[in-house]
Amino acid sequence: MYEICEHTADLGIRVRAGTLAEVFADAVSGLTAVICDDPAMIRPVVTESFAVAGTDPTWLLFDWLSEVHAAFEVRRLLVHDVQVVVEPQGLRATARGEHYDPARHVLAHEVKAITQHELDVRQTSDGWEAFFIVDI
Amino acid sequence: MADQTPGIEPAAARSFDGPLERVDDCTWRIPRSYKPGMLVDGLIFADDRLIPQLRSDRAPEQVANVAFLPGIQQASLAMPDIHWGYGFCIGGVCATDPAAGGVVSPGGVGYDINCGVRLVRTNLTLADVQPTLVQLVNQLIRDVPVGVGQGGRYVFSPAELRTLMAEGVPFLASRGLATPDDVACAEAEGTIAEAEPGLVSDRALARGADQCGTVGAGNHFIEVQVVDRVEDERAAAAFGLHAGQICVLIHSGSRGLGYQVCDDALRALRDAPAKYGLELPDRQLVCAPVDSPEGRHYLGAMRAAANYAFCNRQLLMWQVREVFARMFDRSWESLGMTLLYDVAHNMAKIERHVVDGLAKDVCVHRKGATRAFPAGHADIPERYREWGQPVIIPGDMGRASWVLVGGPRSLERSFGTTCHGAGRCLSRTAATKAARGRNIQHELERGGVVARCRSREGLAEEQPAAYKDVDIVVDVVHRAGLSLKVARLRPLGVIKG
Repeated sequence: MYEICEHTADLGIRVRAGTLAEVFADAVSGLTAVICDDPAMIRPVVTESFAVAGTDPTWLLFDWLSEVHAAFEVRRLLVHDVQVVVEPQGLRATARGEHYDPARHVLAHEVKAITQHELDVRQTSDGWEAFFIVDI
Repeated sequence: MADQTPGIEPAAARSFDGPLERVDDCTWRIPRSYKPGMLVDGLIFADDRLIPQLRSDRAPEQVANVAFLPGIQQASLAMPDIHWGYGFCIGGVCATDPAAGGVVSPGGVGYDINCGVRLVRTNLTLADVQPTLVQLVNQLIRDVPVGVGQGGRYVFSPAELRTLMAEGVPFLASRGLATPDDVACAEAEGTIAEAEPGLVSDRALARGADQCGTVGAGNHFIEVQVVDRVEDERAAAAFGLHAGQICVLIHSGSRGLGYQVCDDALRALRDAPAKYGLELPDRQLVCAPVDSPEGRHYLGAMRAAANYAFCNRQLLMWQVREVFARMFDRSWESLGMTLLYDVAHNMAKIERHVVDGLAKDVCVHRKGATRAFPAGHADIPERYREWGQPVIIPGDMGRASWVLVGGPRSLERSFGTTCHGAGRCLSRTAATKAARGRNIQHELERGGVVARCRSREGLAEEQPAAYKDVDIVVDVVHRAGLSLKVARLRPLGVIKG
């Protein structure tokens, strides 16, 4: 699950899930919900694979979200859902979604970047938790 | 998932309860003793009216954190429009001395490199525009690309884009999209020297390929305004402003290209603190010595993005001129649509300043802060030099914006800097909540403002109540001598993303 949190000029997203892989997947759902008004309108018609290297969970989250964000910025790919596998040297993910179609998708925010301010991933007694702020 | 986990506490929940010592009626100090590691004091320009708001988020903590940056000179400064940013606060100013190991920090410039504003005059009056105001605003939002996912009509080849980033607005003049006067009336004449387009990544180029000449979203806008009060008749006359005159204010920056340049730099600098032995209290303050391969690389790419931003605002102005020309069936020249000035408010520049009696070249970071050089400064266009640099302060879309002039104390107090806007006082989520059940567009219309916005979120998040009162913010910088009031402008029509 994710929740949108307050930040004076921007938006924060807090993610809580049982496993690190779920945190990475749900973080993308949060990002998509900030970019797109109604993520339910995104159909899973395109599949893209991602591989992100890194061993530190916090930097791995940052680099992973930056890749998904770039996929929208450069190729206009809106992600519907993702399957993430965390490996010792990074993560692999399969993202399904579709390219932005002004006739069907209403965009909500222009996300300039994923910021590193207050960026955090940590294990809790119940699972994993992450927090990141996107610059609007 | 359970709520009682010792999880992450987002900083929004916290306010600032550290020391704020009154220096005078518009300056407050966070003493160096507040945190071990601060190299200088924090100094915030604000008055009693702004203090409760100032303490409500973590922005003052960020002022203290910036005081850790190696080579910082005089003080870590913040303007009265200060609010919580990431790493640096918005409204922050920090000058570092490269000769003393001073650093450059991409976070001290921000993602939107050379975000800024330009003000275009017209010879139209309120009476000329009022009857067709709705049509005019509708035409602007139809013809000028605004909003998320909106590409522009100007498409440059990769080679042209590189030339544009190297040369800035003079390149557009060579394509017939800028006049010599447009070049002369922009900060740095619309071109920052020593730009290195070759250091801009392919991803940044891809993001910026079709965005030069687009407004974007967030707090960016184009506004039709009327001069509703002149505070300094002589300076206003020198700036070509008079009461009742229609002007157009354009607010945008370097779009996806600049955001990516910043993102790339933060990534490239990830290991710099360890390499250069820098102790930083916030990851987003990551930096490198100005005089290092990493520092030079960032500055070269940043300047290229800054030139792109000048060109973006130039192309926006060009499109606005075309819309006015069609609407009023006259050429833009005969409508007197000349550029008053263009100022950057997210930038790092090497400038000469006197610190402790010594003239030094320092790297001035302005993150949501505007250069405001006083009368006589050589970097001001000759036509304005005897008055001081024009400073343009966008407020909110319901109340006002201001034209100021660089003040007599700006060099000594703030490295020649003043505020950049009103500054947010409500978060986006709080503003959205406050807008539930209301129609912001109708509310603005009742106040005499025609607003057109591409997204549902835009008007709610950017509603006037989300911002501090710009009149108070401007009053503080005026009394502090950083910049002086020239004219107040009232919004009539606005387009947003």
